[in-house]
Amino acid sequence: MDGNSNSLADVLERVLDKGVVIVGDIAVNVVDIELLTLRLRLFIASAQTAREMGMDWWTGDPFFTPRTADRSVEPGREPAELERLRGRITELERALGEAPAEKGARR
Amino acid sequence: MTLGLCAYAITLDHELDLLPGTDVRLVAHRGLGLVVADVELTQFAELDTDPAIDGPGEDDPLVVLARRHDAVVRAVFERRPVLPLRFGTVLRDEAAATRLLGERHALAKCELDRVAGHREWGVRARLPHRPDDRAVRLDGLSGTEYLARRRKRLTAAEHGRQRGAEDAAALHAALTRHATDTAPRAHRSPGLLLDTAYLVPAREEAAFHAELRRGVGGVEVALTGPWPPYSFARLELSAGDRSEAIAHA
Repeated sequence: MDGNSNSLADVLERVLDKGVVIVGDIAVNVVDIELLTLRLRLFIASAQTAREMGMDWWTGDPFFTPRTADRSVEPGREPAELERLRGRITELERALGEAPAEKGARR
Repeated sequence: MTLGLCAYAITLDHELDLLPGTDVRLVAHRGLGLVVADVELTQFAELDTDPAIDGPGEDDPLVVLARRHDAVVRAVFERRPVLPLRFGTVLRDEAAATRLLGERHALAKCELDRVAGHREWGVRARLPHRPDDRAVRLDGLSGTEYLARRRKRLTAAEHGRQRGAEDAAALHAALTRHATDTAPRAHRSPGLLLDTAYLVPAREEAAFHAELRRGVGGVEVALTGPWPPYSFARLELSAGDRSEAIAHA
């Protein structure tokens, strides 16, 4: 249980959102900072950090996302799969490119 | 160019030999100290930029300032009790800093006593991902079989969630026994069963961690910390009668 892996999201959450608020004496308008905090919280909730914050519970549930449930794909295999699909798309595009005249004739 | 005094934390008055090479220093008054540094105020004005789509990176101006805030607070925290101030607390000058400490002396002292000898730990619990389900193939089933299987899975998932919630509640109860105070995160994300900060006294830390290691059946637990008591310094220190004269210049 390593406690020293404090991520950026964790640091921001604590530094921006917590701590003593001093009322009075403040030269910089705190209200602006509060708004900033709110917006930043939205950034944090965005895709990049959602996973580590536990907001991706559905991605591992095959009921909700049956196609992506298998995370065991080795990194090496992905490019080959991509390559195959790219080839397939090119093929289909070529086929479509040849087809329009025929389609037009049918209408 | 407008210089202000960025205030990071309230601590006890003591020699501040931290962060050499920076101008971080202590403004002391009646046994208390305010940790401050000169800042260019335009830095804070320019933070309100670039709503990055993927979240801020380490070189984002706001992130740089936030990391610095954390570094200063931590440097104090490693040596003395500390009350972290909310990010972006900027005072006009040292006279304002002294006034601040004077007017809030009693409450600040009392809060420092409360967090002294404690560290904050963050605990999150969630349901583990279950890879065993994915082997089930849905092709070749009849409509009825398919629906029956879906219902079975939904029910199982619901039971899993209920068990997880019970386990998380049990874990929270066990951890709370070793903490002086707890602070649930205000907006817990839906996937988390527990997202809470614990203020743990030094003498209870071993027991607190033992409790976490023991774990509870069905939940995956993540720990962050140790932190300065950020989540336990949520108070507002107001100056009383005189505040309106100097507020928000």
